[in-house]
Amino acid sequence: MAQFLQFTINGLMSGAIYALIAVGIVSVFKATRVVNFAHGYLIMFGAYFYYTFAVIVPGMEWAPAWLQSWQQEWLVAWRADLPMFSPMAAVADWIANIPRIVLGLVGAVVCNAIVGLIIERTLMRPLMGQSVFAMIMVTVGLISVMAGTASIIWTADADFVPSIAPNAPIRFELFGSMIFIFGADVVNMIIALLMFGGIVLWVRYSRGGVAIRATAEDQSTAYSMGISVPKVFTTAWMLASMTGAIAGAILATRNGISPSLGLFGFAVLAVVLMGGLDSYVGVFIAAMTVGVLEAMTQWQLGGDWAEIVPYVAVLIVILIRPHGLMGTKEVERI
Amino acid sequence: MINGNLKATYAADERVLDNRNKQAFMAAVILSLAAFPLLANDYLILVACQMGILLIAVTGVNVVIGYTGLMSLGHACFVAIGAYTVAVFHNLAGGVPDWLLPLIVIPLAIGVSALVGILVGLPSLRVKGLYLAVATLSANFIIIFLIENDILAPWTGGHVGVNTPVPNILGWEMDSRREIFVLIAVCALGTLLLIQNLFRTRVGRAFIAIRDKDYSAEILGISLMRYKLTSFALSAACCGLAGALMAYFYARILPEQFELALSLQLVAALIVGGMGRTMGPVFGVIVIVMVPEVIKTVFGAATGGDVTLAQLRAPVQEIAFGLLIILFLLFEPLGLVRITDRILQAMNQWPFAR
Amino acid sequence: MLNVQGVELSFGGIKALRGVSFEAAPGEITGIIGPNGAGKTSLFNTISGFYKPDAGRVAFDGQDITTLSPDKRAELGIARTFQNIALFRGMTVLDNIKLGGHKRLKSGVFSALRYFGAARREELAFRREIEERVIDFLELDLIRKAPITALSYGLQKRVELGRALAMQPKLLLLDEPVAGMNREETADMARFILDVQEQFGTTILLVEHDMGLVMDICSKIVVLNFGEQIASGTPAEVSRHPDVIEAYLGTAQDSAQPDAA
Repeated sequence: MAQFLQFTINGLMSGAIYALIAVGIVSVFKATRVVNFAHGYLIMFGAYFYYTFAVIVPGMEWAPAWLQSWQQEWLVAWRADLPMFSPMAAVADWIANIPRIVLGLVGAVVCNAIVGLIIERTLMRPLMGQSVFAMIMVTVGLISVMAGTASIIWTADADFVPSIAPNAPIRFELFGSMIFIFGADVVNMIIALLMFGGIVLWVRYSRGGVAIRATAEDQSTAYSMGISVPKVFTTAWMLASMTGAIAGAILATRNGISPSLGLFGFAVLAVVLMGGLDSYVGVFIAAMTVGVLEAMTQWQLGGDWAEIVPYVAVLIVILIRPHGLMGTKEVERI
Repeated sequence: MINGNLKATYAADERVLDNRNKQAFMAAVILSLAAFPLLANDYLILVACQMGILLIAVTGVNVVIGYTGLMSLGHACFVAIGAYTVAVFHNLAGGVPDWLLPLIVIPLAIGVSALVGILVGLPSLRVKGLYLAVATLSANFIIIFLIENDILAPWTGGHVGVNTPVPNILGWEMDSRREIFVLIAVCALGTLLLIQNLFRTRVGRAFIAIRDKDYSAEILGISLMRYKLTSFALSAACCGLAGALMAYFYARILPEQFELALSLQLVAALIVGGMGRTMGPVFGVIVIVMVPEVIKTVFGAATGGDVTLAQLRAPVQEIAFGLLIILFLLFEPLGLVRITDRILQAMNQWPFAR
Repeated sequence: MLNVQGVELSFGGIKALRGVSFEAAPGEITGIIGPNGAGKTSLFNTISGFYKPDAGRVAFDGQDITTLSPDKRAELGIARTFQNIALFRGMTVLDNIKLGGHKRLKSGVFSALRYFGAARREELAFRREIEERVIDFLELDLIRKAPITALSYGLQKRVELGRALAMQPKLLLLDEPVAGMNREETADMARFILDVQEQFGTTILLVEHDMGLVMDICSKIVVLNFGEQIASGTPAEVSRHPDVIEAYLGTAQDSAQPDAA
């Protein structure tokens, strides 16, 4: 029972990150009808940017020392009094890292937004109105371009990146069993959920969101009603690349940085199709389900098996409900 | 210049090589292929073998994507099935004489791949387009996972792969690449011919009908289920043959050879060459194999052995590969076949029209 | 030949068809008319198998086909054309027409892969047949190698008719065969439809807005309005029916009846 609860909680935490990544794919799809196969690589870029601004830049000779490690007198004093591996020591370590974490996040979001903008302008806009096949395959081609570019820019082996929140271990009791989690994971989950919720609300209620939804319904009608469809495209891509940057930073702190981060995108793609491409709610449910299923598989069968859970799940769902859990079925007119 | 196609019989009108230029071209291709193993150096043989294997697989992908219009990003798994069938059954079939073994194992590899093809093709009955792409991609991940898995590792060798046998066909032991090239070339030409034939008959037309308008195909009595699965089986069979040849060609096969990268390479070759045309895979494979080789040569000459610069070669090849896909989709979605069509047409009409 | 009984069909809450019943007599042309949105195409889709009716049954040649899939119905001898042309745009005229004969050819995958031999003999015999029965008949011989995209709208409609004819159907469903055509093309198409009926004895079911054509060539007419069958009978009966005049041709005072009526 204790194990079950523990793995469920782990699953929910990784499910939240699936949801955060998925939101990028869904937003781009809603606005542009393009499913971005390269989203995983956008996330990888986010992770590398975070690494660049949180580790490489503060490590440069010209960078001020406080950027590398923010050692205020009171902090040093407080840190010295704390025992080595206590939760409070983790908080103190985190406080020292705040400047570079903030720089890392800001840098990642800004740079990824620029990357998203470039992709949208150079590749997606010329393809407006082309076949679905062409648009999807362009994003597939983009995979290779992004993977290659990343390994040219970031040749060095990436090492430790500072986690976004204090990584204090937390123990508590739930239904009579001890649960053990890391503070950073909890904060990551909260960030992911807040961003997911924020985007869903934004799409539902704001002007820009309504424009996205109108474009999703019918591009040419939206255009003729005075909605600038190219602007909607740009907004969606920026949104996707910025959420991708945060997701990338979180993933980098969880699993480290490697070119295989891009492959994570395919698992998320499976999650998105499982939930239904145009439904935030469905995707959220699917993300949480896959997260928990993965954790359960890891518990029962081992980590190897966990990596194919999203793919098996999406195959089953597609065979039973072709348009995902909550996706709308496209009606073909004859 | 050809002034017209004057045919006296329907049989003449239905021919594929319906004019002298095409016949001469085909004869020249076959002659040069026959001379190739006698004249070419080892490097050219190596490249040509890679092209031949890839060509068989891309021809298969063309059946599903190009002709039937079903998107698949998972065809590498059929190549894997073909390759592993050969490796595994060579080890299992102890009693069978060596000279007979490939003649049993190659058809077996094709058959097993076709069966897996039907299985992987099942989602195509429910979904199309993107959903199918992700479904096949998932199948690819799952099959590679199973090959790597501990349960099957005693046969497949798991992560580290498995050594493959030397083919011995009716006493001819093909222990050099030059000899295997003959096998590959014969298989590649055979596959191209069979698939070309298919599209002269009702079966091939049914595939194209499903691609162009599936409900309209249904109204003509074409069973979508049957033909979609047939299409998947045929294309998986081609990929299975390619896999079998790959197993014979390389000394060792590894699961990572058959991951998503190969699937993408197959589709990329098809896009570059031209979808739904016989010559599409041919042109596409030539480009997709040659571009990295050219980059390698240029890099070798330009860097002159500088180690840090040489590290950039693999990423540059990767970027070039992606750019090929993107540029063709942006500027010539119908591929090289369309470009050659235009050139031939211009030559045909010169100097009267451009 | 075709017997439709009490067919009802709804999409969500909208009733597209409410109890349509009629019979298409063998060898005759039956017209289905009605204002836009009356459910004509839905009725066609029910007959050809894309929609399954909520109630009622469709019988063909005495056999209940209500639950058969479209391809099974094609096998029984039902062919149709579509309102918005549904030709295979990546193919030539000849290949499109050849596809009509799909069910009448027999070669399987393996003989198709070999081609030379049985498949070739069959293909060549079939080519001769469609050249004589379809291409010459519909006067398509000059464009047989042309891609569909290069043809005018009227010719595309004719090719679609050709594709249906290659099936040698017993029942031919024509969904607005002359929509969007000029006077000359309409006259041609009317001639072809009558020729098909005369030469092959095909039963024809026709949806059309061109009242002149419908009144001229149909021997029986079924009138739909908002999914309901409001009249049926000979052209003369129908055009005098008060409900029809009100729902479709306008009220009597307008006297906007087409001269053919």
